[in-house]
Amino acid sequence: MLSADDFLVLSPIILLAASSVVVMLLISLKLSHRMIQVCSLILFAVSFASLFFIQNLLPYYVEPLLVIDRFSVFIMGLIIFSGMVVSVFSYIYFEEKEESPKEYYVLLFLCTLGACILAISENFISLFLGLEILTVGLYALIAYLRGRHHNIEAGTKYLILAAFSSSFLLFGMALMYLQTGGMEFSSIASSLRKELELPPLFLTGFGMLLVGLGFKLAVVPFHMWTADVYQGAPTPVTAFIASASKAAVLAVLFRFLLQIDGFRFKLILLIIICIAVASMLIGNILSLQQRNVKRILAYSSIAHLGYLMVAFLPGNEMSIRAVSFYLTAYVITTLTAFGIMIVLSAKDDDAEDIESYRGLFWQRPELACILTASLLSLAGIPLTAGFVGKFYILASGVAAGFWVIALILVLSSVIGLYYYLRIITTMFSGTKPSVTTEARQHPFYYMLSLMVLSGLTILIVWFGVSPAGLMHFVNDFGLT
Amino acid sequence: MEVGFYITAGVTIISTLLVITRHNPVHALLYLIISLLSLAIIFFLLGAPFAALLEVIIYAGAIMVLFIFVVMLLNLGQQTAQQEKAWLKGKVWIGPAILSTILFGQLFYLLPVAQMQAEMPAVDAKVVAISLFKHYVIGVEMAAMLLMAGVVGAAHIGQHKKVVLHRFLREGEEQL
Repeated sequence: MLSADDFLVLSPIILLAASSVVVMLLISLKLSHRMIQVCSLILFAVSFASLFFIQNLLPYYVEPLLVIDRFSVFIMGLIIFSGMVVSVFSYIYFEEKEESPKEYYVLLFLCTLGACILAISENFISLFLGLEILTVGLYALIAYLRGRHHNIEAGTKYLILAAFSSSFLLFGMALMYLQTGGMEFSSIASSLRKELELPPLFLTGFGMLLVGLGFKLAVVPFHMWTADVYQGAPTPVTAFIASASKAAVLAVLFRFLLQIDGFRFKLILLIIICIAVASMLIGNILSLQQRNVKRILAYSSIAHLGYLMVAFLPGNEMSIRAVSFYLTAYVITTLTAFGIMIVLSAKDDDAEDIESYRGLFWQRPELACILTASLLSLAGIPLTAGFVGKFYILASGVAAGFWVIALILVLSSVIGLYYYLRIITTMFSGTKPSVTTEARQHPFYYMLSLMVLSGLTILIVWFGVSPAGLMHFVNDFGLT
Repeated sequence: MEVGFYITAGVTIISTLLVITRHNPVHALLYLIISLLSLAIIFFLLGAPFAALLEVIIYAGAIMVLFIFVVMLLNLGQQTAQQEKAWLKGKVWIGPAILSTILFGQLFYLLPVAQMQAEMPAVDAKVVAISLFKHYVIGVEMAAMLLMAGVVGAAHIGQHKKVVLHRFLREGEEQL
């Protein structure tokens, strides 16, 4: 049975679950979109605040499914934060669209809940349930504007591929259970501790688990869906997929690998290296030819997940820190970039073509500056959070002796520089008034979104200029 | 018991292969029911009679009947009567009938044997309930949220917009 402490330590999760029910009740009261948006913002803030109250209880096990330690609280914070930011941006985006946007917030809460469960799961059961809550919510969110062909197409693609990858995941879990006799990561670890070589049955199961999780992370070779789904989904949903869902799946994969001490086995190390190298190179090369900003960001997210896989490799305390730091930089930067796209979107046009950014600096200098900062951070230019994150990954990789991988990382970031700079030069060239400067219909939310965007930009620059604060915070992490 | 397992597993694989190779959805669904029933027998052989029962009641019973109803309802039209006649041709039901006879025969053989054997503790309803609502109660809650996500999503995607037309327009549309 659950004790009082269990309830307390699970309060962020419980609050998120309760929020989705509350929002559903508010919808039945026929409140306006604005009221529902404000309420969901407050509820997000409450569950974010609850993370601070459970700090003294950590680390805490809720047997047998969940573990809450500092790392998972940090990841939960990132996820809830991105959910909150996405819900701010959603108002402008959905208010202009034809669908009633109210159920959107219920689904957003449920997706956030699923992602948080992933971040704290220590058992295959909670891993699968969390992943399914996240994915089932995302099916509906991606196809939310169901009158539009792009949306339905993206939703169907995601539905079929995600269902298929879930079946791989389940079969992989079954095989690993057959080999080790445990669903908890800790009991799998203790059964593997005696083995010098990886048992073939376990290896097969692990491969299938990687197929399932790799699909959600969109790493090469499971990346085919990314560009189409990113392009087809409503932009706030794309931002959520790119930030929260990736962070959650990455966290659970990382926890699993660390807990079973998987880097001890040469074969697992080799598989991760192959995936990382392929993702970095292919992600960056594929985005060179794109003309659509959403597709560019989709391919660049593949490359970024590749960098994060490189951070896995040392498999020690250092790699926890590198992963946490880089993930923070990546999530904040991605949210900023998509936020600008949302603010620039009109009713029928999502501001995805690179041409619609021509001369943006001369019309809306503040937006152009924010987008420039976020793109520079994605590219890894000094004085931005992205640079420090990449530096952290390189330092931890080189310290563990992965010279070749570090070189490939540097090389592929140079390729990546080309397409980021192309967007930036487009913004500063020409004076064609391509973005219609009509009077904003929602001045309050427009200002709020701008404030959030400026805040995120300040964070990007701050983590880039004086990373000591975040580093100090991240340094305390250790998996228990 | 060993032989029983292999026979059942064979039936499962054959029927599942037939599910994915049939062109007509109703034929495929008939084989899917056989596949689920034989899975239930495998559960029974593994010492989980409660799981076997649930497999029959929930999957082969409720969900499959729902499937078949939906598939049949979707085929409304003038040819429905002929179609139903075509569905009831001998070669359609003879395959599922043979497979289910095998399973039925096994059941008669297994039931008395299983009662005599007691070396394996059976996982009955009580054990399942205790593990679900004591150890894994959070998992049950998570499954509830999963269902909620599915229901809200399906309700949104499937909702109909009311088309408000003037009655003259509506009449004109019908004539077209």
